[in-house]
Amino acid sequence: MKILIADDSRVMRQIVTRTLRQAGFGDHDLVEAADGREALDKATAEHPELVISDWNMPEMTGVEVLRALRSAGNQVPFGFVTSECTPEMQGAAAAAGALFFIIKPFTADGFRDALAPILG
Amino acid sequence: MTVHLAPTIEDLSEIAEQVWSSYLDPEGEAPLFPVGPPDPDAVVHGDVCASVSISGAWHGHIVVSCSAVAARYAAAALLQMEVGEVMPDDITDALGELANVVGGNVKSTLPSVCTMSLPHVVVGSGVTNGWPLTVPVCELVANWRDELVVLRVLRSKSDLAGTTDQ
Repeated sequence: MKILIADDSRVMRQIVTRTLRQAGFGDHDLVEAADGREALDKATAEHPELVISDWNMPEMTGVEVLRALRSAGNQVPFGFVTSECTPEMQGAAAAAGALFFIIKPFTADGFRDALAPILG
Repeated sequence: MTVHLAPTIEDLSEIAEQVWSSYLDPEGEAPLFPVGPPDPDAVVHGDVCASVSISGAWHGHIVVSCSAVAARYAAAALLQMEVGEVMPDDITDALGELANVVGGNVKSTLPSVCTMSLPHVVVGSGVTNGWPLTVPVCELVANWRDELVVLRVLRSKSDLAGTTDQ
């Protein structure tokens, strides 16, 4: 399965990659995006089967990326990994079609719980 | 009059503990130790100073500052590399992400609706990255690997008119 990791922090993209491996999801193909625009472009061009996205990014926020994908008819499974968590944000994420909302700092167990229904 | 809850030192300590146990000290070998009472008049300083700004129902900044050595340790821990391999870009990215994670969790203690900026990082010897139009809300001064680390929440003075903090 191809997974797109979108986060403007290279450090956090590495941590997400490492945590996927620790959670038992290390055998997937990973693609990275460093801002929201790149995330939208790669989610369209690379045809990932899952998008794991930060919320607060340059160019476009994660939820703007998700809304743009859905507006274009792209139904790729999409979830957030973000340091910000408010009821408003979680509501907006769910309304836009997000499948999960993982809060930083996270653990491998948190990844496993959120992603097992999608990655098996 | 609007009554807003403000983040407390207990909130900040809990957030720091979660960040350290998840990313900077997952093995529990180098925990963060609070040192001394916070100084409300102290200037935020350090060799590296990373911050995010909050706006909306609450206005202010969350600041993470530390020595250059601590910044290298942090980057090495986050990237799982040797301290000697850490490059300047690694330090900027790592401290910015620390400010982002701490700030995002502090934001969750604030009234809705607020938005948070992308992180801003200043690197330089003896950096003083002051916010003169703010007042300190809470501060965690800590020792990590024999280096100073300071986490601070600053609130805009203009935000305080007609508001009572608890």
